[in-house]
Amino acid sequence: MASQRDVRNRISSVKNIQKITRALETVAGARLRRAEQRIEALRPYAEAIRRMTRQAAEAAGAEATRLPLLTEHESEKNVALLLITGDRGLAGAFNSQVIRAGVRAAAELTDSQRSPVWYATGRRGVSSLTFRGYDVKGSYTGFADRPGYADARSVADDLMTGYIDGQIDRVELIFNGYISPLSQRVRRETLLPLSQATVTGVPDDAERDAEPEPDGPQALVEYEPGPEEILRRLIPDYIEISIYRALVESAAGFFGAQMTAMRSASDNAGELITDLTLQMNRARQAEITQEIMEVVAGAEGLT
Amino acid sequence: MARTSFPAEVLTPEGEVFSEEVEMLSTRTAVGSIGILANHEPVLAMLEPAELRLYRSDSDIVRFAQAEGYLQFSENRALVLVEEAIAPDALDRPTIETKLSEARAGAERADEGSEEQARAERDIRRYEAFLAVGG
Repeated sequence: MASQRDVRNRISSVKNIQKITRALETVAGARLRRAEQRIEALRPYAEAIRRMTRQAAEAAGAEATRLPLLTEHESEKNVALLLITGDRGLAGAFNSQVIRAGVRAAAELTDSQRSPVWYATGRRGVSSLTFRGYDVKGSYTGFADRPGYADARSVADDLMTGYIDGQIDRVELIFNGYISPLSQRVRRETLLPLSQATVTGVPDDAERDAEPEPDGPQALVEYEPGPEEILRRLIPDYIEISIYRALVESAAGFFGAQMTAMRSASDNAGELITDLTLQMNRARQAEITQEIMEVVAGAEGLT
Repeated sequence: MARTSFPAEVLTPEGEVFSEEVEMLSTRTAVGSIGILANHEPVLAMLEPAELRLYRSDSDIVRFAQAEGYLQFSENRALVLVEEAIAPDALDRPTIETKLSEARAGAERADEGSEEQARAERDIRRYEAFLAVGG
């Protein structure tokens, strides 16, 4: 049986670990709130862009269907997979579930004679893919905790350039979608080609409630320059917003996952401390019993 | 003379940066400079990187360095959507200069007429405009 001193040392080291996990949990909680605010801040902008796009698409008419980002490539040979992960670990299965989904998607592509082209944001994703021997064409790190719009734009620029210049024929996005602080779900979305329905499609319910479309003739709007030109710029914004949204959701999800992981680590440490304290008390009791028996035996020997 | 004011809102993906009544708003569209006063006709314009000025009054002007975006004016409300809107004193010159030289190098490297080149040139215009606003 372990001596009292051994057990006492283990208890103090577990207590130290618990202090660290508690601190991380608190920090993650504070950052989670900030990340949630960023998701909220994006919404009005994204909705305004969507309204404008629909308006410009209506005004542009048939012209809208000929934009390169809306056009499917004839053969779909090279498919870009963009994985969004965190820069750090200590967040349970957060990073590994995205990487696993990516590897599975790549296997599907290979099975159907297509080749994956890897893109990844977040240090964890990049290093894990490199370690597995994949060639990562685009890697973006250092902003996973606090993504800015400019970061999303640099990722989007590379993907759209690759798509328009013909190096990639399709882009898929794999990331942890944010549901609540306690749960994230891996989502897989097709980013390019952008479906026309997304652009010109019917507004969803929430929007229709928010803004009833007037039935009468609409006011004549002056476009500077023409609606086609404006649409040509609005479509890439869509892609940028989609990537930015994935980045902010992933950041919020990361802190949620980290908070949960650290909370259960603190709980585990607590249980361990209870068990070890019990063990230490037993050890102490055993020593005391042993001493009493020795004293009694000694006394008996004297009489 | 005081002019009629109208509500103006400036939104970026990272949040709202301005929402107040203004007398005039000025910026640059793809076809040239534009100034909006109250009761302007409805317009949807594409904005180039420039200095965005919001006139609370003739002497009280709020300025931003603005990236690409859009301006919508309808029903006497102005909505400015821009990718970035930075207050002039918050501009980080060294970072912008680095990015500008990167973009210039990228434009050199890219093939003539490719999308890559077009984007690098767009970056150059943005960072040059930011530096101009910073003065």
